[in-house]
Amino acid sequence: MKNEITLQTRREFLRRTVLGSSLAWTVPAFLADTFSALQAEAADSATQIVTGKDAPILVVLQMAGGNDGLNTVVPYANDFYHNSRPKIGLKAEDVLKIDDSIGLHGAMKGFKELYDGGQLSIVQGVGYPNPNRSHFRSTEIWQTASDSDRVEKYGWVGRYFDNACPGADPAVGVVIGNQLPESFFAAQPKGIVFNNPQNYRFMANGTATEESYKKLNELEMSSPLPDGGPSMTPDDNSGGSIAMLPAGMPMTGGRAVDFITRTALDAQHSSDEVRAIAARVQNQAVYPGSQLGGSLKLVAKLIGGGLPTRIYYVSQGGYDTHTNQVNSQQRLLGDLGDSVKAFTDDLKAQGNMSRVLVMTFSEFGRRVSENANGGTDHGAAAPMFIVGDKVKAGLLGHYPGLAPEDLFQGDIKYNVDFRSVYAGVLENWLKTLSAPILGRQFTPLPVV
Amino acid sequence: MLKALSSDQWNYAAAAHLLNRAGFGGAPNEIEKLADLGPDQAVSHLLDYEYIHDATTDPDWAKPNPEELRQFREAVKNAATPEDKKKIQQQQQQLIQRRMQELRGWWLQRMARGPRPFQEKMVLFWHGHFATSFEKVRNPYYMWRQNELFRRLATGNWQELLADAGKDPAMLVWLDQAQSRKDHPNENFAREVMELFSLGEGHYTEHDITEAARALTGWSLEPLGQKYIYRPFFHDNGDKTIFGQTGNFDGDDFIALIVEQPQAARFITSKIWNYFAGQEPSPELNEALAGVFRAGGNNFKPFLRVMFRSEEFYSPDIVRNQVKSPVQWLINSVCVLECDLPPTLVSYGMLRQLGQDLFAPPNVKGWDGGVTWITTNTLLARYNDAQALVEGQLPPLTAGDFARKEGGAGGEKAMKIFQRVRMGGVDVEKILTPEQRASKPTIVAALEHRLFQATLNSEQEQTLREFLDSKTQLSDADIITTIRLMMSTPEYQVT
Repeated sequence: MKNEITLQTRREFLRRTVLGSSLAWTVPAFLADTFSALQAEAADSATQIVTGKDAPILVVLQMAGGNDGLNTVVPYANDFYHNSRPKIGLKAEDVLKIDDSIGLHGAMKGFKELYDGGQLSIVQGVGYPNPNRSHFRSTEIWQTASDSDRVEKYGWVGRYFDNACPGADPAVGVVIGNQLPESFFAAQPKGIVFNNPQNYRFMANGTATEESYKKLNELEMSSPLPDGGPSMTPDDNSGGSIAMLPAGMPMTGGRAVDFITRTALDAQHSSDEVRAIAARVQNQAVYPGSQLGGSLKLVAKLIGGGLPTRIYYVSQGGYDTHTNQVNSQQRLLGDLGDSVKAFTDDLKAQGNMSRVLVMTFSEFGRRVSENANGGTDHGAAAPMFIVGDKVKAGLLGHYPGLAPEDLFQGDIKYNVDFRSVYAGVLENWLKTLSAPILGRQFTPLPVV
Repeated sequence: MLKALSSDQWNYAAAAHLLNRAGFGGAPNEIEKLADLGPDQAVSHLLDYEYIHDATTDPDWAKPNPEELRQFREAVKNAATPEDKKKIQQQQQQLIQRRMQELRGWWLQRMARGPRPFQEKMVLFWHGHFATSFEKVRNPYYMWRQNELFRRLATGNWQELLADAGKDPAMLVWLDQAQSRKDHPNENFAREVMELFSLGEGHYTEHDITEAARALTGWSLEPLGQKYIYRPFFHDNGDKTIFGQTGNFDGDDFIALIVEQPQAARFITSKIWNYFAGQEPSPELNEALAGVFRAGGNNFKPFLRVMFRSEEFYSPDIVRNQVKSPVQWLINSVCVLECDLPPTLVSYGMLRQLGQDLFAPPNVKGWDGGVTWITTNTLLARYNDAQALVEGQLPPLTAGDFARKEGGAGGEKAMKIFQRVRMGGVDVEKILTPEQRASKPTIVAALEHRLFQATLNSEQEQTLREFLDSKTQLSDADIITTIRLMMSTPEYQVT
């Protein structure tokens, strides 16, 4: 390869010498990917590489625990509904009416305002064939966009990055929290995770310490993997080899170390930018003091500060309402509505509202009938919410039937596959082909 | 498969591996002791902990206390004003939080300094396996009691543990079994006991769940006595069909049916192998492990002995290839550095920040573990927590972060407390002999030996020597910073 770059530092030297060589694991993911993107003869015309400050942004909001969709988008005029829920059913006066049969839970004032302003679409009856009622399995299905009888290694967001974002900065995906959600699992993992920008850095007691830390964390990895970098989910399992340990002191290294080295590089390269933005950008709306409110507040700052992120991921937990559902769901949905409303107000004040789409999901809805403890057990289909200036506002799909003959084992039947919603978001909002990401072509639901 | 590692293959590195995995690791002299014992005795030294006296005493509140409960209920009932009532409830919440904090410290101390590290490692496994959270249980006594149950049956019989864990108050609350009634069986425990605790997805049907939920009715909780009670009136006496067998089963029958399934031995041995070896067993290895477990009457101790003696356990793709869990990271650090465990407030803050909040796993599946412990955020937090551990003081920003989680005005107060916290830190004299300290290469080599029981790569060693070279007069503080730098590497995050 041609040497056009002037060498300035040892780090640059390391990076430059390895570009194009098989030692690509010594550089951060995004630099290696940039190189391979530049090398590509011609980019797929459908692929939009992430660079522009005007690129569309998706915020994925997970409502963890399985939100009771029936008490969220409420069929308040339906007798089957009231008969199944004598204790926890919401009456006409408890809901924010959308039409003469459906209303939003009374706590969702924020969502009602968005609805009235043409910025909210409600996708009704979303699910998938052969629904699974386990939290973990169903979450996995939603996160990996798999069929319910298939286990996928990578997540749908991760496959989006693998397919559509070569050359992207690691901050192309941002998770507010501590753990990487399964939807981000990828062949070439991308995405940074943090919850407090002030602490998102290596704290050093002097420049010598800081320099040493950087050197210690960017040396080459031990065992190159065939697909060009360390994978999150090595295929190998134990039992194949029983070769013995060497007699002397063994060397450190191995697959786990390779994965951590890549993460260390991404952390090093994203921390300065994140902290600078968080310190510089001011919020222009008042958020609830909840965890979700705090997360969206931070996302608004990062958007305002121009972080090159395409997908943000935030979550809100607590929806597993087996007992005494009324109070807890009231609190959660109120927080959801108020937090998202504050977020959109903030983005509007920034002038970024038209670039951002928020999509909620929960692993399943709940049973139609209430249980004996004032709660509901794990069910199937439920609504999704999509928020943005350009959404197809209003009700999408149709409200699932609640008559006994319309149910399957006491559960609502889906009429929109969640992967059609993903396909709509990928094709119409993120402007990329959905089939390579979702495994096959789903009819894109026109959400925008 | 599972041939015993021969004695001539036993060495310092193998002993270090055993102590790291079957315990929390240790200082070089402890590893040497195990290496000298030979493989049989080394494994026995860790596994046969019954012969080692453990003088740990229970927290003074760790007993059923109906009187305290009665007084609290009385006080709430007789409160003169709504404000008084709120105040009494707040005081009760503070008491509960104080006890939980004491419990966390009590357990961490047992892991770090107790005489039976392997037993505690098993307790940690069972806690992750039966993943019960205080966030729902809300009762420190129940959480302690479950922890003690895991200790008592740590390496015991699978059927006994599964049944006892199911009947223990913490689980009865956590998975709603206490709420289950004949006319409205609650399926939560019935489902999770098969999916997550014993068989795994795909080895039972939805119908098995509804039938098992019926069998389990009657398992209940006596709230004032704070113990399990069987309530015949709640029990469904009809026939149930589970795994194709029909009978008037109760909860214990259901547990017995589970353990009889061939899949049961595969499931639990795979999970234990994964916990100790750091990766999934191959199907052949899993079958061999399950065979040993069944042959030992579904008892864990004989199975674990074979596992820790096996050649497979010491193969190069297993050794130093497991990401340390946050608990392993913390306890291992204080063991190899021979320093004190930080005050519970700090240990708890660190663990929570690193993603392992003891007594509060994220969900009933427990912690995913492995590489999922590592994100950009948790990795930087490990590097920064290393500084706090070695220096014996929290950096102000970390203190601030912990404090913010406490929230609001309490946060400011917590921040001040955090900033004043002084911990032991590393005593350089304890971990480097004068000979080791004599030259820079010997300093680096001795610290590698202690922290990794392995060598870093040559460029990393060079970087560390250069760092030491940049200091004109080598102080204790410089050596402490060197240790922190070694802990701030990808290599230190694995064991």
